[in-house]
Amino acid sequence: MKHLSIKPSILPVLCRFIPALFAISLAHAVPEKVTFNKDIRPILSDKCFACHGFDKNTREAELRLDTAEGAASVIKPGDPDKSELFQHITAHDPDEIMPPPETIKKLTDADRNLIRKWIEQGAEYESHWAYLKPVRHSSDKNAIDHFITKELKEQDLKASPPAKKWRLVRRLYQDLIGLPPTTQEMEEGLEMGHAQLVDHLLASPHYGEKMAIPWLDLVRYADSVGYHGDQLVTVSPYRDYVINSFNANKSFEEFTREQIAGDLLPNPTEEQLIASGYNRLNMTSEEGGAQAKEYLAKYAGDRVRTTSSVWLGATLGCAECHDHKFDPYLTKDFYTMAAFFADLEEKGVYSARTRPPQIFLYTDEEKARFAELDKAIPESKARIPKDAPKEHPERAVLKKLEDEKKKVHGAALSMVISKAVKPRTVRVLARGNWMDDSGEIVLPAIPEFLGKINLPEGKERLTRLDLANWITSPENPLTARTFTNRLWKQFYGSGISGNLDDLGSQGDWPMHPELLDWLALEFVESGWDIKQLVRTMVNSETYKQSSYPRSELREVDPYNQLFARQARFRLDAELVRDSALSISDLLVRDVGGKSVRPYQPAKYYQHLNFPRRNYQASKGNDQYRRGVYTHWQRTFLHPMMKSFDAPSREECAADRPSSNTPLQALVLLNDPTFLEAARVFSERILSEGGEDFQSRLTWAFQETVSRKPNENESSEMKILYEKQRARFEKDPVAAAEYLKNGDSPVSAKDPIESATWMSLSRVLFNLHEMIARY
Amino acid sequence: MDYQRFLLDQTRRHFLKRNTKGIGTLALASLLNQNSLGSEGASNALPIHIPAKCKRVIWLYMAGGPSHLESFDYKPKLAEMNGKPMPKSITEGQQIAQLQSQANQLKCFGPQHNFSRHGKSGQMISDVFPQIGEIADDICVVKSLNTEQINHDPAHTFMNTGSIIPGRPSMGSWLTYGLGSETENLPGFVVLTSAGGGQGQPIAARQWNNGFLPGRFQGVEFQSSGDPVHYISRPKGLSDAGQEDVIRASQRMNALGDEALDDPEIATKINQYEMAFRMQTSVPELVDFSDEPKHILDMYGTEGADGSFAANCLMARRMAERGVRFIQCYHRGWDHHGGLKKGMEQTAKFVDQGSAALVKDLKQRGMLEDTMVIWAGEFGRTPMAQGSGRDHHIKGFSGWLAGGGIKPGISYGETDDFGYHAVKDIVHVHDLHATILHQLGIDHKKLTYRFQGRDFRLTDVHGKLVKGII
Repeated sequence: MKHLSIKPSILPVLCRFIPALFAISLAHAVPEKVTFNKDIRPILSDKCFACHGFDKNTREAELRLDTAEGAASVIKPGDPDKSELFQHITAHDPDEIMPPPETIKKLTDADRNLIRKWIEQGAEYESHWAYLKPVRHSSDKNAIDHFITKELKEQDLKASPPAKKWRLVRRLYQDLIGLPPTTQEMEEGLEMGHAQLVDHLLASPHYGEKMAIPWLDLVRYADSVGYHGDQLVTVSPYRDYVINSFNANKSFEEFTREQIAGDLLPNPTEEQLIASGYNRLNMTSEEGGAQAKEYLAKYAGDRVRTTSSVWLGATLGCAECHDHKFDPYLTKDFYTMAAFFADLEEKGVYSARTRPPQIFLYTDEEKARFAELDKAIPESKARIPKDAPKEHPERAVLKKLEDEKKKVHGAALSMVISKAVKPRTVRVLARGNWMDDSGEIVLPAIPEFLGKINLPEGKERLTRLDLANWITSPENPLTARTFTNRLWKQFYGSGISGNLDDLGSQGDWPMHPELLDWLALEFVESGWDIKQLVRTMVNSETYKQSSYPRSELREVDPYNQLFARQARFRLDAELVRDSALSISDLLVRDVGGKSVRPYQPAKYYQHLNFPRRNYQASKGNDQYRRGVYTHWQRTFLHPMMKSFDAPSREECAADRPSSNTPLQALVLLNDPTFLEAARVFSERILSEGGEDFQSRLTWAFQETVSRKPNENESSEMKILYEKQRARFEKDPVAAAEYLKNGDSPVSAKDPIESATWMSLSRVLFNLHEMIARY
Repeated sequence: MDYQRFLLDQTRRHFLKRNTKGIGTLALASLLNQNSLGSEGASNALPIHIPAKCKRVIWLYMAGGPSHLESFDYKPKLAEMNGKPMPKSITEGQQIAQLQSQANQLKCFGPQHNFSRHGKSGQMISDVFPQIGEIADDICVVKSLNTEQINHDPAHTFMNTGSIIPGRPSMGSWLTYGLGSETENLPGFVVLTSAGGGQGQPIAARQWNNGFLPGRFQGVEFQSSGDPVHYISRPKGLSDAGQEDVIRASQRMNALGDEALDDPEIATKINQYEMAFRMQTSVPELVDFSDEPKHILDMYGTEGADGSFAANCLMARRMAERGVRFIQCYHRGWDHHGGLKKGMEQTAKFVDQGSAALVKDLKQRGMLEDTMVIWAGEFGRTPMAQGSGRDHHIKGFSGWLAGGGIKPGISYGETDDFGYHAVKDIVHVHDLHATILHQLGIDHKKLTYRFQGRDFRLTDVHGKLVKGII
């Protein structure tokens, strides 16, 4: 069996941590043919570019190693020993050795061996893969399996067998709509073909809710402004826009254009204006004493970081103060990108509770009433004589009408939108210093090395619409790769390129660059059809594999980069909540609407001020909505969401970590949401699960984890049943009290039996299997 | 069944076959042997970067920006200049917060409280802090602090994370990531809060966030009412024993499920339930002060864990004893834009006794040697008047440190005669961070984490060790 060459960029990391584990693969690390992008660039980028790279201001000895020309003086192709570069990296003299000892960068022997071989083989440079146009390497209809098996064959490995059908049904439910299948849905799913089930789920309105979660992380969608008092701002129509767009399968091209420049489209619809709210989702401040100019600079920087990360997979934010150290982004590029957004009407510091420009979204009913009032008010005014006394009866009528108009207006949902005004002057800020007015004035432009958007005739400057059009144009190699790579993560556990934030030099070399290119091209050529791309991904044999670990893979492919098995991962925070609510049948499956407030510990908002906040948990149906509708307070995210790694959305987040902490255990054990779900579920067990212990337990297992309990599990649960039942029999008052967790009415006919099953349900809700996808 | 051993074996077995992405160099040692630092000193399996002088930090965080001119930076010249125009040469081109509209008529505002000499060291300390005066010989006053952000929110973020961009880990997260925890029963990074005496500026959970570090390094806020830790209490209607049944069954059922799944995350999860279970006992025990003698309660000026600053100081000591690595006690109430004379007096009353008692108490227990206490806020206040108060000020302000190998009884750094610019031995926020890390045995340049393709540090690309105070 051959060993997989672990990508060099992670070697030093591994090396530092576990020398023993590392040694297994190291001896085989140098491949037959060394390629610059795969093997050499990661080393040079990580260890050398900071001083010998793109940033001319920090370049030492006028030497750059990021281009062949720059490195010509120190590399003699074919002859490593005569190459100054190689001499330096193998020197022992502290004055000679590179990287210098005072930096913490160190080359490993494996790095040096790779560089030696690369020079021996001619020291050929390549442009960074992500900046080249994608190339189609297969004409297969679904080439995923082609590329995956090809690589596996080279590594002398086999794909894993397909997962059991029930596992696949559950996986598809979790991946596509983010909810576990009910027993009945499972039965139906088992009857359907795989592709048929995929189509069935893609047509579900809950697909959009699932797809929206990572997008909302990226665009940092939240219900509060983030800075200082973290006051509320209404942008929930934007969230619904995202959900609806995924459900309607809006092309990604249109989705992009509407968000970046919806307001600049001809006669923009209300929907397009809502979409344009994207540009205004950044954190804003109304702190007294804040300087508008400083905050405008902060907002501009935030937008560049976010937009470049969302669509380009680029860390352009690094170029705010200096040229990018690892990628060809210049400081100027940062500010020319910022200039695209300089036309937005906005304030550096807002007055209390206002975020103009906004639109108001009236319901049809409200619109009708408005029309009536707009007619009635002038009529009423006309009925008041000029010198009528204060107590003239018509004045009271007028006041009532005007008050009603205010009330209707106040009740309507508002939405912060983009509106173009005369663009502000944008200067390059030296070292990012907003007080420095000496920098060059710049106009909107894309990063120079990625090309140029030609100025449309008769126009003085490029607009956000030009930017949006370029982002999804064939000239831009980054967008389709970035989106495809992130989507792949949703269905395969990690990206084809592991780093979802950064497709640049410091990103991860994709184990399957040809596959990423093929998917990106398919996506573009399908007219940016997202559902089609999802279908392609989840209908492959690679997707259907079992996720069961195999000992031979642990050694050669610990990160599962070869996808020789499916991934297994814990569900996102929202879906952990959704699963419990769905299983208990408490879940209210409405789509869209105002944000809602799940139960939350008292005084959690005590540190908020201007104004002080008193959290009121939602009542009735709103208490049982999906996690995606949870009120998102940036500075104090709901503790359940936070402990399950949901980001605060203060800043663009392309990826969520997946931690496993005692705080999560406490949430699942004691958060009233989960207690109530367990309690209501216990009622279902008693009414729907049959009469005896075993049939009830089996039913409960099927509803929660889609399988039957085995013998050991049954006897373990039986022990718990006996123990808990004995406790509640001794103390029926406690049993009744236990059943009062949560707002929903208690309907238990046999409180002791219900309380007992509530404890059993809690154990099921604390199974990793319930909140993980296998 | 020897449950502990079972769990430990599970952890080791799974750890060795798992990938190690994102596990801190030093934290790795603590994962395999949580008590290594606590029980065997600095002889870890993996080398700690430099010899540690200090094991834990308690930061008394004075939120709102306490005036250095009424606390630790004695400025007789400013008193003489009271009411006179502030020299343009000092303020020109400088950033101003709320005084923006009055930039052309800035007037000097003399110190509003008297200063007195204290202790053998003769440190000059404002009379509103009589008790801190008593520990003058134990503290190192730094008068030349510098920050980059002039509004509360970003200034807090900068002070805690070394960056103004949200999403970076706070210092406590960095420390627990780098050093692991000394306790298995409590989180390694805890935040306590109190307020009173002045305008309660808001403060964000971002200040104790783990940022891009794994979630287990996040600061855990202890609440003064309700559950001390969110969701720590068992559900109503269930006894402790009944809850234990559920937790134990959850662990065993997860282990049984794992026989078919073979998922290392499950072993970790079983471990986390163990810690959660222990927290359900250790947290109530921690917040119950009934085992503290009366003279200790009197020393702090508290009767129990009531969420006051004094009680939080005592709680911090109790946590330090139990191995919590980084404890932050925020007190909100220092934003004295107006009514500064009275305001300083009032807010000082909330914190003076507790701050001093903490240092004295740690000292009498021999804990001050390896526990660093820091007393500082996000910035200071202007020498110029804002009506009867002072505006935010970033170019020179004061704080103090005690214990953990910091030189006692000295003052370090100076501001100009007005208390405006730090002019000697400037200590930038990054320098303060570098020095704290150094005392804990970490070279700030070496504690890194790869995110978005870059090795991030608490000190970014800055920070120099303040050798004069160690």
